[in-house]
Amino acid sequence: MPEKNDGGGRVGGVVVSHGQVANELLAAAETIIGAVKHITAVSIGWHDDVEAATGEIERAVGRVSEGCGVLLLTDMMGGTPTNIASMFLRPGEVEVVTGVNLPMVIELATQPAGKSLAEVARLVRDKGQRHIYLAGEMLAGGARKSS
Amino acid sequence: MVECEVRVVNRLGLHARAAAKLVRTASGFQSAVRIERADRAGAADAKSILSVLVLAAARGTELKVTADGADERAALEAVRGLFTSGFGESDE
Repeated sequence: MPEKNDGGGRVGGVVVSHGQVANELLAAAETIIGAVKHITAVSIGWHDDVEAATGEIERAVGRVSEGCGVLLLTDMMGGTPTNIASMFLRPGEVEVVTGVNLPMVIELATQPAGKSLAEVARLVRDKGQRHIYLAGEMLAGGARKSS
Repeated sequence: MVECEVRVVNRLGLHARAAAKLVRTASGFQSAVRIERADRAGAADAKSILSVLVLAAARGTELKVTADGADERAALEAVRGLFTSGFGESDE
């Protein structure tokens, strides 16, 4: 699989979480920006076994891959969804970003064209971090510049 | 470059779905479109939803819209129309 994305495809995504968080995050993103075909969700049940969850993620990666790599967005570093997702790590093919939030799903959904998996992964991480605000501090008049 | 001033009139402000509508509209033009808060507390690329959301523009917020490019007048009018129509949202 190519390191650089120049084939017109997008980096695919799989949101992986405990419980139904993944499905609902994706549903919220689609309510806001419309259907997102290159991202899917895998919700790992509290009692699912690791083999079943691994198989589900593997099938999900296959569904969303457009040949430009797939980003796995997991809910929490150290949790089972992240640990299972990390087994799929392959440079240029599969990357994992933890701590998924709605801005991260929207950023992946609306990613700029022609970016590599590594570039999109960094963008998604940075947007996720930058979109955490302490609202009280904003009211106090902190300047916000964004591009 | 052309610019105009608008005010957020819909009850929910420039919330997620309104921002998505703004981005879809702005993205239909070649011109660069920017939105800046009149109080200078933030500025956004109108073609990036996450950028627009960080403006945190509630109802009543005054904004400056600028468009720069071949179709800047049409882009400015389209964006202005969204704001004046309250993004087509009823205020119930």
